[in-house]
Amino acid sequence: MITLTLKQAVDGVPLEAESICPDVIAALDNAAIRALPVYLGKRQCRIDDFFAVDGETSEEIDVHGDLRKVRWIGRGMTRGRISIDGNAGMHLGAYMKGGTIDVSGAASDWVGAEMSGGLIRVAGNAGGQIGAAYRGSRSGMTDGTIVIGGSAGLEVGMRMKRGLIVIGGPARDFAGLEMKGGTLVLRSGAELRTGAWMNRGTIISLKSIPLLPSFLYSSSYVPTVMGVLGKHLGSLGIDLPLKPAAGTYQRFLGDTSVKGKGEILVWHH
Amino acid sequence: MGGKVTCTLGEVKNRADFIIYWGGNPAECHPRHFTKYTIMQKGKFVPLGRKGRTMITIDIRETPSARAADIALIIKPGKDFELGTTLRALMKGQPVDEARVAEIGLSLDTIKDLVERMKRAKFGVIFFGMGLSMTRGKHMNSAGILNIAAEMNAFTKFVCMPMRGHGNVTGADVVLRWTTGYPFGVNLSRGYPRFNPGEFSTVDLLVRGDNDATLVLGADPGATMPQPAIDHLKKTPTIVLDPKVTHTSKLARVHFTTAVTGVSAGGTAYRMDEIPITLRPGLKSPYRTDEEIVNLIIAAVARKPAWRPAPIAQRA
Amino acid sequence: MVKITGGRVYDPANGVDGVVKDIYIGEDGRVTAEGNGSASRTIDANGMLVFPGGVDVHTHVAGGALNFARGLVPENQRVAQKFIHTPELRAGIGGLTPTTFATGYLYAGMGWTTVNEAAVPILSAKHTHEEMHDIPIVDKSTLLLMANNELMLDLLEAGEFERAKSLVGWMLWASKTFGIKAVNPGGVAAWKWGKNANQLHQPIEGYSKVTAAQIVMDLARICDELGLPHPMHLHQNNLGVPGNVGSTIETMNMLQGRRAHLAHLQFHAYGGHDWNTMRSGAKEVAEAFMSHKNLTCDVGAILFGDAVTITADGPWQHFLHELTGRKWGNLDVENETGCGIVPYVYNNHKLVNAIQWAVGLELLLLIDDPWRVYLTTDHPNGGGFWRYPEILRLLMDVEFRKAEVKKLPPEALNRISLPEIDREYSISEMVIVTSAGPARALGLKQKGHLGAGADGDVTIYSATPDADGVMFTHPRYVIKGGKVVVEEGQIRALAEGRVFLVHPEFDPAIEDFIRPTFQKLYTLSFENYPTEMTRLKHPETVGCVPQ
Repeated sequence: MITLTLKQAVDGVPLEAESICPDVIAALDNAAIRALPVYLGKRQCRIDDFFAVDGETSEEIDVHGDLRKVRWIGRGMTRGRISIDGNAGMHLGAYMKGGTIDVSGAASDWVGAEMSGGLIRVAGNAGGQIGAAYRGSRSGMTDGTIVIGGSAGLEVGMRMKRGLIVIGGPARDFAGLEMKGGTLVLRSGAELRTGAWMNRGTIISLKSIPLLPSFLYSSSYVPTVMGVLGKHLGSLGIDLPLKPAAGTYQRFLGDTSVKGKGEILVWHH
Repeated sequence: MGGKVTCTLGEVKNRADFIIYWGGNPAECHPRHFTKYTIMQKGKFVPLGRKGRTMITIDIRETPSARAADIALIIKPGKDFELGTTLRALMKGQPVDEARVAEIGLSLDTIKDLVERMKRAKFGVIFFGMGLSMTRGKHMNSAGILNIAAEMNAFTKFVCMPMRGHGNVTGADVVLRWTTGYPFGVNLSRGYPRFNPGEFSTVDLLVRGDNDATLVLGADPGATMPQPAIDHLKKTPTIVLDPKVTHTSKLARVHFTTAVTGVSAGGTAYRMDEIPITLRPGLKSPYRTDEEIVNLIIAAVARKPAWRPAPIAQRA
Repeated sequence: MVKITGGRVYDPANGVDGVVKDIYIGEDGRVTAEGNGSASRTIDANGMLVFPGGVDVHTHVAGGALNFARGLVPENQRVAQKFIHTPELRAGIGGLTPTTFATGYLYAGMGWTTVNEAAVPILSAKHTHEEMHDIPIVDKSTLLLMANNELMLDLLEAGEFERAKSLVGWMLWASKTFGIKAVNPGGVAAWKWGKNANQLHQPIEGYSKVTAAQIVMDLARICDELGLPHPMHLHQNNLGVPGNVGSTIETMNMLQGRRAHLAHLQFHAYGGHDWNTMRSGAKEVAEAFMSHKNLTCDVGAILFGDAVTITADGPWQHFLHELTGRKWGNLDVENETGCGIVPYVYNNHKLVNAIQWAVGLELLLLIDDPWRVYLTTDHPNGGGFWRYPEILRLLMDVEFRKAEVKKLPPEALNRISLPEIDREYSISEMVIVTSAGPARALGLKQKGHLGAGADGDVTIYSATPDADGVMFTHPRYVIKGGKVVVEEGQIRALAEGRVFLVHPEFDPAIEDFIRPTFQKLYTLSFENYPTEMTRLKHPETVGCVPQ
């Protein structure tokens, strides 16, 4: 177990810390970890300019402190575990391929951007572009799981191709924008334009949401596949309403503006 | 992601028989647009000029531009994205939900008629303005127009063009692209160019306080930006280069009055369709040009001792 | 004076084929016959090969179309090679649409010292020159897009050839460019109405007389009569279409007796009649090409991997967008031309791409005169220019080539001739197709050779392959105008390149014709149309010799 404790506040210029990653750290001794580069604007610094460093040669990294302006933690990781006791900054777990990231506080924009495997859990709120494609990229996340306990910002799951995103609080506009596949669960609904221009994939909203004119009502039922999804989410500690007695899912198909074959399932009591 | 299908303004002048102005008011904001480039011009293939063109406005209120239109469509505020999406569906013969279309403020028949007119055009163009790009949805509203224009090419010749803001914003975009690869919001702190709107774009940086100094050239963020951004400009070193003392100047540590580009300073401006125009200054100015000041700053920085990061204990 | 000693010199233009000799470059940056005085720098080139610097005869690196492409593909820039800012070097991004400073570093870094930007519209020529200004080290020339210029087409329609010729001369001088580029003659003009020009002998959309064939023949004649150093540079009609072999051979026949340079011939050498029956037409095209001794060409070979198609051929790009679903950029330039951009991937599992890959190599191997066929990828259409060494390897190592052919889909093998071709390029032939030949075709007499008076542009490679068995990827030294700009992988002592242009003779009265026509059809003042000479950094005018 390696423990990093923030000792110098990062509250102005953000810190770019892609070195905080099991793949980078796992084989290093304590002195080598301390010397790893982090970037404060244009300045290259050492990890131990900002963190107290305990431990060495481990895939498990515990980080403590308010890291809301510490960006790129867990970038491209393929294994191991990062546990953040505090907030996390932008690009958390971007390009991740495996392993786990847990955040007790809030996260920022671009959580799990273009990830292809692994699990990210944020207890608090997160920003926008969760599991999304970076500007111009054809696809967002291609696999993996992201669970946000609180609210989320714009463009959640933008161009995601596969994988699962669960948002506990309300999401803002454009959730599931240009979705190509995968599953997006909005436990507290979303604001405008959910599923805009989606091609494929499934958006499940447990609250009523406004829909675009390019989504058409299809039917009301509880799809059988929900049982499978419900079980999987249960293993992550998330409940999905499934009992027909409690209600049903209204199924909307679209986005017809792109001849899309996506679906939005809205829970209806 | 359909792409960007556009042309230079002369193509509009010579060919466009169908012109939509969406979310913009050129009569007041681009006052020479109609007369010099679009509806009033007699074009090579539109010899009848105004009579050979159909002009449509789409806006949330009636503007002087709408009054000049053949058809002025008034839609409810915040519905541009919905209208764009509906057009894309109808264009492809796809179904839409009539009740939700009605929320746009236009009947389904009106929108269907618009699609038919677009398809019948010989050369259609959509000019879109800040009423679209700066309202809820922002870049997605613009993306909607871009997609409509690209997709319309399956039926007829169609283009679109953003109505750019004042100054040489197009020129800044063009130069940044060839030197850094990106049009705006470029971060060079890691030694090479990086781009991520929302992370490195100006308003976001200032609101979050991600930078610790600001140099402002030819812009006035102190007049237009949210309060946290203005507070940040006041709290951190801010330098302004401008011919006038601006709102930002009043928050700044240093203000340089510089010569007015195009009047007393030369250079190249890029028109909204990216055509370069040589500026021919006609007057002399007692002030130095922006370029001279920037070069002096660069030279002064170069004379400073080489910078090394201070150990943490010595930081203030 | 710079002395390069002990290296094996290949200077095919002067009949030097792997001879160990010294090369001297004087203070004026030119090769001298003998060393005069002491050398300020001596390069020990023992065990190395010494070539004249590479000349890229067809590439897209600067100006409106390329800059449009840069903005269209931020995802490419994100993963491209980074150029870190140093006290000597500017920051930049490589990849398929490199930024301007990076473009100079990339070309020089691979040993290419002269670059011909293949497509410039007059209306935005100032933009091209501004970007050229920011491309360090290499010398540059530019080609002016004319085959869809409606002022010219209107004159040809009216039978006014002489006036059209004067117009072209005026346009060249106004734009400060070096030669004439013809792209899909008539097709780009037709694209202004959403149409194309697939038939060589049918009137262009909007015209009743002018045909694509007439544009081709008239422009070739104009280039000869103006005496331009480089002949008409032609991107033919029907690019990319299966079965375009017929159109290509017919175009070659039409150009009987005229000089012309056929661009990226690979895209114009397809047999079959649709995507299912498509096959290589390289054999027929090569045979026809060899019989027309007045023609030169560059191959525009494709390499498997990412590309960005950037071309003035607007209608083809719309088609490619609809075919692939990839995003599409289009910019029509009033009265003159246009451009289309579509990012693309060449996939070695796809039959069509496998055939295209073979066709480029077949043309290089079947055309037996290396002085008339040149190595390009129509960058970035076929692949990045820094990948030229991959093509060199395929040309020079038949075993490697055969192993690569084995990786193609089996259905491709009976559609191409490549498996039967055993020819291997010699080093001398390699130097001809990458330097001496293109220099000669461009009419740049001081380029592409190491005789006395040549520009001191020298590229020095190791004579032994690298760890992967590959040669010519990283020069040991690159010298530009007598300055050592690249040394053991480091870019140094930045030279600034020159820009070549022409000032042909034309009837000055043509301006009286152009001015009112311009004011009627364009949207800016006539005074703002020409590019000022002051915009060019180190311009050098090359003489015209009317033929």
